[in-house]
Amino acid sequence: MNTIILNGSPKGNSEKCNSQIFAEQFVKDMKNPCEIKCIAQNVPKELAQYVADFDAIILILPLYIHAMPGIVMKFIEELEPATSKGKSIGFIIQAGFIETAQHKYVGRYLENLAERLNYSYLGTVSKGEAAAIYMYPKMFKKVLKLLSELGVAYEKNHAFDDEVVKKLTNPYELSKFKLWLLRLVNKVGLGNIGWHKVLRENDVMDKRLDRPFL
Amino acid sequence: MKTVIIKECGDIKTSDVYTFDLNKKVVKDCIGCWSCWWKTPGRCSFNDLNEFYHRYITADKAIYFVRVTKEFVSGNLKTLFDRMIPLYLPYTVYTSGESMHVPRYEKYPDIEFYYEGKFETHSGRQIFVDYINRVFYQFYSKNIIIKPIGEFIAEGDDNT
Repeated sequence: MNTIILNGSPKGNSEKCNSQIFAEQFVKDMKNPCEIKCIAQNVPKELAQYVADFDAIILILPLYIHAMPGIVMKFIEELEPATSKGKSIGFIIQAGFIETAQHKYVGRYLENLAERLNYSYLGTVSKGEAAAIYMYPKMFKKVLKLLSELGVAYEKNHAFDDEVVKKLTNPYELSKFKLWLLRLVNKVGLGNIGWHKVLRENDVMDKRLDRPFL
Repeated sequence: MKTVIIKECGDIKTSDVYTFDLNKKVVKDCIGCWSCWWKTPGRCSFNDLNEFYHRYITADKAIYFVRVTKEFVSGNLKTLFDRMIPLYLPYTVYTSGESMHVPRYEKYPDIEFYYEGKFETHSGRQIFVDYINRVFYQFYSKNIIIKPIGEFIAEGDDNT
């Protein structure tokens, strides 16, 4: 099974790119690591022609406005349906919001897209609360390990492992207790600490609520 | 009533209405830098949408005429959606039972969204409509209408 990994983040192979970290982690413990290409650093049409020669595509992407970033849609526009059977495609989405139910809108689309492209659908793996991985990788050791396990299992079975997927996807929705806790954190003013730290560092704390386009 | 039009299809008469024509304008892709949140709050690091932002956020209604592409929005329109982030704050609230960003402005325009294009299945169309609804719900637009472009009735064309 000849598989290519695509990084769909506009940040490409930057060290600040979580999708690139996901991609590298996915192939890290494979016996024969898959090739990784960044959509941001390729011409969409040329890349679409290039990936057509692979048996499988794994597209790793950040969630932008509940779906793929614009550059990924420009790449999807160039994909042609497979002319032979046996090709497959899967997706791994990482996002900032905690609950992975936020990914369900694009997840349904990606499944539909696979069918339209005559590819077998491997599934969409979702990971929430992932925005800070590049800043604090040590805090996300468990997530990174799961991604490596996902890659090893994929190399062996050409499928996403259900148990690993389940762990990454959790929580799908926010529980009542979690909601209560998050609202409390916001109420006492702790929810925005991280944002305010950077706003202060950038000397724009007093401009944080600006409405420049009125 | 102030209206803005965002279009990539349709022969729509748009005199006296600010029209953002996606056929003539390639929107610069969001690069995920978050400058609009933590370096220049409310302003994108690119300047290509400054007039659009002003027209959009001061409008009562935004009317979209959209070409369905691979049963989704086009890459260019998706980039425009991505670039709406400066109109919201980075903070997260949970009042609706899920995570949502906080509005930066007091109000956002109502939406009329007309699409042109075919779907292979009813399910494909529903996925598209559900996605568009979700986008503008999270964008804090209060009234959202989504219809095929054939159901658009221009002002003055309705004789009823």
